[in-house]
Amino acid sequence: MGKIPPSFRSALSNPNLIHRSSSLIPSSPKPHHFPNKTRKPHQKQQQSQSQSQSPKPVSVFKSPNLQEAKSIFNSFVNSSNAPIDSRFHNSLLQSYASISTINDSIAFLRHMTKTHPSFSPDKSTYHILLTHCCKSTDSKYSTLSLIHQTLNLMVSDGISPDKGTVDLAVRSLCTADRVDDAVELIKELSSKHCSPDIYSYNFLVKNLCKSRTLSLVYAFIDEMRTKFDVKPNLVTYTILIDNVCNTKNLREATRLVDILEEEGFKPDCFLYNTIMKGYCMLSRGSEAIEVYNRMKEKGVEPDLITYNTLIFGLSKSGRVSEAKKLLRVMAEKGHFPDEVTYTSLMNGMCRKGETLAALALLEEMEMKGCSPNTCTYNTLLHGLCKSRMFDKAMELYGAMKSDGLKLDMASYATFVRALCSVGRVADAYEVFDYAVESKSLSDVAAYSTLESTLKWFKKAKEEGLKF
Amino acid sequence: MLPQRMKKAVTDNPKKLANLIDLVNLPSTLRDFVGQSQTSRLSCFMRVWSYIKTNNLQDPNNKNVVNCDEKLKGILLGKPQVDLAELPALIKLHFPKEPK
Repeated sequence: MGKIPPSFRSALSNPNLIHRSSSLIPSSPKPHHFPNKTRKPHQKQQQSQSQSQSPKPVSVFKSPNLQEAKSIFNSFVNSSNAPIDSRFHNSLLQSYASISTINDSIAFLRHMTKTHPSFSPDKSTYHILLTHCCKSTDSKYSTLSLIHQTLNLMVSDGISPDKGTVDLAVRSLCTADRVDDAVELIKELSSKHCSPDIYSYNFLVKNLCKSRTLSLVYAFIDEMRTKFDVKPNLVTYTILIDNVCNTKNLREATRLVDILEEEGFKPDCFLYNTIMKGYCMLSRGSEAIEVYNRMKEKGVEPDLITYNTLIFGLSKSGRVSEAKKLLRVMAEKGHFPDEVTYTSLMNGMCRKGETLAALALLEEMEMKGCSPNTCTYNTLLHGLCKSRMFDKAMELYGAMKSDGLKLDMASYATFVRALCSVGRVADAYEVFDYAVESKSLSDVAAYSTLESTLKWFKKAKEEGLKF
Repeated sequence: MLPQRMKKAVTDNPKKLANLIDLVNLPSTLRDFVGQSQTSRLSCFMRVWSYIKTNNLQDPNNKNVVNCDEKLKGILLGKPQVDLAELPALIKLHFPKEPK
C-alpha cells in the first residue's frame, strides 16, 4: 500500500466504522440465531435464580460471621408466622453467600436444614452455591476443589447435575476469566453426569476463541466430539469463522466452510455475512462480491447486514460507484439503508475526495428520516479536514458541539492538525478544550496529540516546508 | 473500541506517558504560579491554559497570541508575548528530562 500518512491510516481502520458494522452483525434483531439462542438457557436459569432472589431481603447480613448469620436466621424463623418455603431459604443463602466464603455458606445451609427440617434444599439451592464458587477469583479458592465439594454435596443429597448446572458453571467460570477451569469442569461433568447442551458448548467455544490459540480450541472440539459425542453445529462454525476472520486468516475460514458443508450444514445468511466481513476488513472487495454472488446462487436472501457489510467493504477498497449502486439495489429489495450504510458510503466518498457529495448525502439521509450518529459526523469531519474545507469543517464541528457529540481520536487528530496547518492554533486549542470537556478523549490522549502536532509544525516551519 | 485503542497508544509508550503525568517537584518560580509544590506536566499545562482563558489574555486581534501579564511572564521566560503554538514547549522547559 505504500506510505500512508498517519492520519489517513487511522481512517483506514476507522475503529467506529468497523466496530459498528461488525458489532451490528451479531446483535442484529433480524433472524440471527446465535446471540438469541445462546442466551436463552442463560435467561431461563437467571429467571429461576432471580425468582429465588426476588424476595431477597436487602442486606440482612451485615457481616460474613457465621454465628451472627445463624442467629439472624433463628430470629427470622421464630418471629415469622407465615409458612416459610424453600424460596425464602434460598434467598437467605444467596444473600449470605454473596458476602461470605463458600465454606461458611455451606455451614449456613447445614444449619438451616438442621433447625428447619421441613426445608429440603433443591437444585437452585445448590446452583446458588455453585455460582458463588465459580465466580470467586480469589487465588486461594480459585481451584476446582471448591466446585467439586459443592457438586459432591449436591450429588450426595440425591440431586444430580443436569444441563442447567453445567451451563451455569460454565458461564460463571467464563465471566470470572477461568476458561481453563471451565474446560476441565465441562469434561469432568460430561464423563460423570451430563454432557453440556449446545448453548453452553458454544458459549465456551466463543470464550476459548477469545483468549486461547486456535489449536487449543480445535483440540477441545475434537475431544468433545470423540469422547462425549458433542458435535459442533452451524453456530459453532460461525463462531470459529468469525474468530479466524478477525485474525485475518481467510484461508482457514474457507477451509472451515468446506468442512461444515461436508458435515451437511448449509451456510446461512449470518455465516456469509461473517465471511464477507472478513474480506471487507482486508479491503478485498472482489472476494466480498464473490461471497455475495455465491449467496445469491445458493438462494440465501441477503439482509441489511449483508448490504451494510458489502457497502462498507467496497467503500473501503475504493469502489464507491459500486457501493452507490448497491444502495439502490438494497432499497429495491426492501431494506432501508440505516446510518451505518450511509456512514460507510460517506467514508468511501471522502476517501475518493468527493467530500461535498458526502456532505450532500448527509442531507439526503436526514431527509429520509435516518438520523446521523457520532460516527457519521466524525467521518465527515475527517473528510472535510482532509480536503481542506475548513469553514465547512468548523460548521460541522459547531453542529457536533451543540448536539454534545463526541469526537473520536482520528477526527480529532486530523482536525487539530488541519487547524494548526493553517495557523488557527487558537481554534485547535478550543477543539482540545471541547475534546476534554465532552470526555471524548482522555486528557493525556488529547494533550499529547496537540503537543506533538504543534511540535511537528514548528519543526517543519524551521525546515522551511510549506503546506 | 476507542478506549481500547487509546489504552494501546498509551501502553505503547509508557515512558512518554510517565513523562506527562508523573508528579514532579516544581522549581520555585512555577511553585508560586501553580500553588502546589508538586504537579505533572499535563496538569501544569492545563493550569496555565485555564489561567490564560479566565484572565482573557489572548490578544483580541490575533487569538493565537497571548499577551502575558506579570505572573505569566515569570514562568514563560519573561516574554511579553507568547505564541499559543509554543506554549507546550515553553512549559516543557520547566520539566527537564531526569538524568539517568
